Amino acid sequence: MNLLPLRAASPYARRLHMVDAPDDGELARRISAAAPGRDAAAEAELCRRFAPRIRLYGRRHLRNDAAAADLVQDVLVLTLEKLRSGAIREPDKLASFILGSSRQVVVDGRRGGWRRERILETFNASLPDFTEDAEVLDSRRLEDCLAALAERERSVLVMTFYDDRPAEEVGAALGLAPGNVRVIRHRGLEKLRRCVTGEAA
Amino acid sequence: MRRFTCEAPIPAETLEGYWLGELDPDAQSSLEEHLFSCARCSSRLQALVDLGAGIRAVTREGGTHAVIGASFLGKLREDGMNIREYRLGPGGSVACTIAPQDDLVVSRLEAPLQGVRRLDLVFHDTRLSTPVRLEDVAFDPQSGEILLAHNTPFLRSMGKATNYTQLFAVDEQGERELGRYTFNHTPWPGSQGS
Repeated sequence: MNLLPLRAASPYARRLHMVDAPDDGELARRISAAAPGRDAAAEAELCRRFAPRIRLYGRRHLRNDAAAADLVQDVLVLTLEKLRSGAIREPDKLASFILGSSRQVVVDGRRGGWRRERILETFNASLPDFTEDAEVLDSRRLEDCLAALAERERSVLVMTFYDDRPAEEVGAALGLAPGNVRVIRHRGLEKLRRCVTGEAA
Repeated sequence: MRRFTCEAPIPAETLEGYWLGELDPDAQSSLEEHLFSCARCSSRLQALVDLGAGIRAVTREGGTHAVIGASFLGKLREDGMNIREYRLGPGGSVACTIAPQDDLVVSRLEAPLQGVRRLDLVFHDTRLSTPVRLEDVAFDPQSGEILLAHNTPFLRSMGKATNYTQLFAVDEQGERELGRYTFNHTPWPGSQGS
């Protein structure tokens, strides 16, 4: 199956891209089959697809954008080198391999034995050029939408997302039960999302 | 243990709990397996995270007013925000302003909150034709105060004005004023509102 152009810009192009893109296993097999050469399009597609997921994992567990960016690079380099060398035996489980690698790199980092230098030195590899889809929030619109929320919703969302704090902590500060905070938080987020995207309630 | 599939998208509440560290380890592990193999759910998580980042940015810029907790105010200070603070008792008034270096202005409105079930806050601003009522604001009865973070750009644009805020306890019998707080605002010399 042919890949669509990687720099899909419009939402319509992105939807087409998602529909027609090869599955993970097919991508993995294409990269392995091309070795010792490179299937640049397949490698770029793999990076475009998994970079956001690895970054989210990194931000969730490391709570640091720079460390999450390093994690993306390390895991993608490791994954591509394993595919090129034929070391991934079950290409259809590519996503599990990438998650496992992400977990291992984070664990190693916490033990003080960050493998970053080792990964980059061992493979001495560079990643292919790839572009990730990115949505930019209209901050003015977000301010207006926040102002339109009920006061409790605004309090909970501001205190939650300023520093990604759990319901127990936010509830303790506002005199609310954690379960109540979760309900208010979810309702507020849904209202905010619909307001920001212009989606009808 | 429930395993999510693309035919069964992860509920939004679960994504929120995952991002905020509220899931148990098994549920978290299972959810991560799904997120790595599901473009749709990972995109939904990304949208949630982007919205959270937007809220954080607006808060740091003082772009929204909100009732906040005392511990949250401490966190803002720890993060280096310059916060101007005014404390008022019931019936109190204060001469107030916002300086160029201030990131945020917070009012501490003291009130007898014990036994209060619902609390409403009403703003009377000379620039607005009608008062603005914030219904059922969150509060800790033990604290004996409400912390109100003001919208920074809104304050900066204000000229000299006297505004006031009221707190009301509301129940089946009606409403009872707990306090009236007067703000005599003067713009900082040379600022937008002066």
